[in-house]
Amino acid sequence: MRKLIVRHTQAWASLKKKPGFVLTVFLTMGITLGALLCAVTLNYLLLVEPLPYPDQDRLFVAKHGLLGAKNETKGVAFTYPGLVHLYKSNEAFEQAAMMIYDADVIISHNSQPLVNIAYVTPELHQILASPMALGRTFDASEAMDTNNPVAMLSYHTWQQEFNASADILEQKINLSGVSYRIIGVLAEHFVEPELAVTGRKTQVWLPWDYNQTGAGQRQSFGNINGGLQFIGQLKADVSQSQAEQLLTPLVSERWQQGVADIGFFKGWSINIRVRAVKEVILGQSESIAVMLLTGVVGLVLIACANIANLFMARTAEKQRQMAIQAAIGATKKHLFKGMLAETSLLMFMAIILALMLAKIGFYIMQQYLGAVLPRVNELTLNPITFASAVLVTIVFALFFAKLSTRMINYRALNSTLQSSGKGSGLQVSKKTRQILIASQVALATVLVFANFSLLKDAVKTINAPIGFTTHNISTLVLNFSSTDSPSQQEARPIMAQIMEKLEALPQVASLSQSGSPLDGFGVRALTNVANNERYTPYFKGVDHVYFNMIEQQLLQGDNFTLVDRRDNTNVMIVNRAFAKQLKADGDVLGLHLSTGAPDPFKIVGIVKDIAIPGDTAIGKDSAAAGVPRAYVPNPLGGQTFMLKLNPDQSVSRQQLGKLLAEVDSRYSVFSFNAASDILTQSLFAEITTAVTTAVLASLVFLLAGIGLYGILSYGTQLRRFELGARMAIGATRKHLVSMIIVDNTKPVLVGFIASVVLFALTYIGLSEYMQPLLNWQVLPLVLATLVLIILVTLFACYWPLRQYINQPAIFSLRGSD
Amino acid sequence: MTEIKIEMKNISKIFETDDVETHALKDVDIVIRAGEYVSIAGPSGCGKSTLLSLLGLLDMSSAGSYTIEGLDVSSLSLDQAAAIRNEKIGFVFQAFNLIDELSVFDNVALPLQYKKELPTDEFIKARVETCLKMVEMSHRVNHKPNQLSGGQQQRIAIARALVADPAILLVDEPTGNLDSQSGDTVMAVLAQLNKNGTTICMVTHDARYADMANIQLRLLDGQIVKDESLKVAV
Repeated sequence: MRKLIVRHTQAWASLKKKPGFVLTVFLTMGITLGALLCAVTLNYLLLVEPLPYPDQDRLFVAKHGLLGAKNETKGVAFTYPGLVHLYKSNEAFEQAAMMIYDADVIISHNSQPLVNIAYVTPELHQILASPMALGRTFDASEAMDTNNPVAMLSYHTWQQEFNASADILEQKINLSGVSYRIIGVLAEHFVEPELAVTGRKTQVWLPWDYNQTGAGQRQSFGNINGGLQFIGQLKADVSQSQAEQLLTPLVSERWQQGVADIGFFKGWSINIRVRAVKEVILGQSESIAVMLLTGVVGLVLIACANIANLFMARTAEKQRQMAIQAAIGATKKHLFKGMLAETSLLMFMAIILALMLAKIGFYIMQQYLGAVLPRVNELTLNPITFASAVLVTIVFALFFAKLSTRMINYRALNSTLQSSGKGSGLQVSKKTRQILIASQVALATVLVFANFSLLKDAVKTINAPIGFTTHNISTLVLNFSSTDSPSQQEARPIMAQIMEKLEALPQVASLSQSGSPLDGFGVRALTNVANNERYTPYFKGVDHVYFNMIEQQLLQGDNFTLVDRRDNTNVMIVNRAFAKQLKADGDVLGLHLSTGAPDPFKIVGIVKDIAIPGDTAIGKDSAAAGVPRAYVPNPLGGQTFMLKLNPDQSVSRQQLGKLLAEVDSRYSVFSFNAASDILTQSLFAEITTAVTTAVLASLVFLLAGIGLYGILSYGTQLRRFELGARMAIGATRKHLVSMIIVDNTKPVLVGFIASVVLFALTYIGLSEYMQPLLNWQVLPLVLATLVLIILVTLFACYWPLRQYINQPAIFSLRGSD
Repeated sequence: MTEIKIEMKNISKIFETDDVETHALKDVDIVIRAGEYVSIAGPSGCGKSTLLSLLGLLDMSSAGSYTIEGLDVSSLSLDQAAAIRNEKIGFVFQAFNLIDELSVFDNVALPLQYKKELPTDEFIKARVETCLKMVEMSHRVNHKPNQLSGGQQQRIAIARALVADPAILLVDEPTGNLDSQSGDTVMAVLAQLNKNGTTICMVTHDARYADMANIQLRLLDGQIVKDESLKVAV
């Protein structure tokens, strides 16, 4: 032990003399290992760690799969009565719960906050064994059809909106005119299963009975609703596939009875798809996490190569000291232990920094990646993080110590002393240096190219034309604070007054009584009356101002009129993609499409396609462009508006609330958001990817540059006397620069070839993902990567050389003679 | 009158650090004529190596004038100095300074690779063979330097210094890294070369080898203190 302490004290004393070396190792390894610990912990959390619920491996989510006549998938979503039927059937699942996500305004609260709601049956929190901070969860007294108005708050909502009030229980909150008694507050460490939207956190939990589904939809087997959820604990003796086989006929039969009188669904059926909750929550995030880990491992390898160069240079520098140690009896093992003391001290310092950075990384991920990656709120420095930290410390300390001592020719150390330190008796062989250069180039090329590709895709999505404008447009959604929603007839005059007041605002340039395209589309089943072909386009009710306001071009036919809206005329405008689906030549004006109701819609206009980020055609995975859409005139009593504001003008939520109260105090502001903000939010994943990859690409490039510079600089340093000798016999600067470049060309080329091989291997292993990426469009990226790496290499060839070639030859020779 | 190969007048060299000026050479005058064998001796730190560096244009003087075969080389750019070294000066170093990765042939041929106009392969081959023959090392043409003894390496270094047919051979402590037997062999080679007309200027601290030169200069504190130019008739 005493020997160990002495060795480490000596190592520290030696390191203190080289603050630049210590700082470089500390920062390079600390930063990259910090990123590694973040990525390892995230991957463990997503790929290995069980969900924090009892019997989590028995937790499954069920979905309706809607199958067409040819058994093709038409959609994956429940109908309301279909869900209730499954829930009541009590088959396959030991316990099951229904859930609907929504949002509403707490109108009884002073600030009238808009909160995320989940309407659930009591079994949900029993299945999850939800921990409570205060009170209780829902029980049988809040089961379906009990109509018991109680509420549970999330811990965060209790803290934020109710100032952690100690007497929160038994207080009441009012949402949509219903007064709910608060019966519980969930614990801070409760983890909500994010079944529908990653990062969405329910703030108020309400009983199922109070969900906002309209009376018609509650009975309709013809309307699917993507917001309906079913989660349950499978019986111990029932497997996933058995559950599907058991439930499918049960549900399909009932559904077919329900839609028997709707011609559109003739020949269609339902199957039940049962998926593990973990699988649903994780979605595609596993591949993101693995890609992140791969990128970070690449970074660590580059950093490792850089630091290996530094350690080799340090060993070369310490050769005389080691020769003296050898002369007075140090064995090779002693020298290794001395080196290990240095490397372990440095790695210990680096890992402390890495753990601190990992902690900061978790916080950043929780703040900014919550909407992209599930479970990030569970990220914390856990035993896996610490175990990984200990492991990498030991591995890297041993690796660097071993690498350094491998350079030492123990027998030659004595001659180092005999030659009075002249010449360089301890060198990294040319082959080793060339391998290091080649591996550095290969890694840098692969990582820079991969990052460029990701960056290019993300930037392409961000900059892709959406086909409409969001400039100065905001969406206003009204909230009606009463249980008795007004009929269309009642709402019309109120909305007319509200619109009059809104238009009178000096900030408002124009007004549309429609939601923005970014607020979402519904899906509607339509039948072409002429040939009975069936379609499921995206569907939206809009007013006569909508297309002009968002500048979505009308290509053919007419726009809607106020009369169309007032008289509920059955006219329809379709986009070009849907027109082409209906008829190959796209000439669909006058065509009739039926929803099943007696009067079909007549197509009166065709508008240009729009591309909403994230939208794909129903039943397809293709991107947003070319998604079929149909528009119909919306009624005059609608509660959603688009406000086009004058340039540099703004309207506050409070101002709008006051305006609404002046017309009818039952109305308040549900939401008021700039369309451009909504667009940015919908591009969040791409923006995050772009920023992350840009940062990663810069970091990779920087590290690769430092690494290449390090090894080439070291190589040049070793050749100092050779350079001097060459200068002495007449080599000019041009000769020497050319020589260094030519000498390094071979390993650089080998590095490029190795990167191609790496890509080929990746392609073979991941051809499914790689195939779409490989086309002629990547050629400029390949060239850009090559040019960048070549420029860095040329710089790294010249810069270390300049100190020798820009001085008289004696400068390089001094010390050798 | 024999042709003057090298002429230095009032050459000084001052090394400057932050606060200290060190006068390594003070007003040194040297004339070396064609065919002469000049030795420069002196105690350690007297300025021998500095003088040889200036003679070989490895470094530039702080003051004074310097001509090689009548060409003023007092103030040259780094590349001009390199071209003159290649054309007119042959160097032999104490530590040989051969390039380990090159064969004997390539090491010797190296100065020819730096010529403004690259000679033909035939010329290079013939010239290298001639020079290796002069130092009696033709049989080691394909060896690598680390396969040779110190004395053999120094003879290869001499061949390399001769290959571009320089005006003068500058030799710095040629026996410093050799045992006495190898040292004697190398000195014999140099004596033979001088006998055949090669002009040589050698730095040494070994009086025995200094005596082999026909002109002996002695440096002390950066100044020449003794000129025994009449020891051997030229």
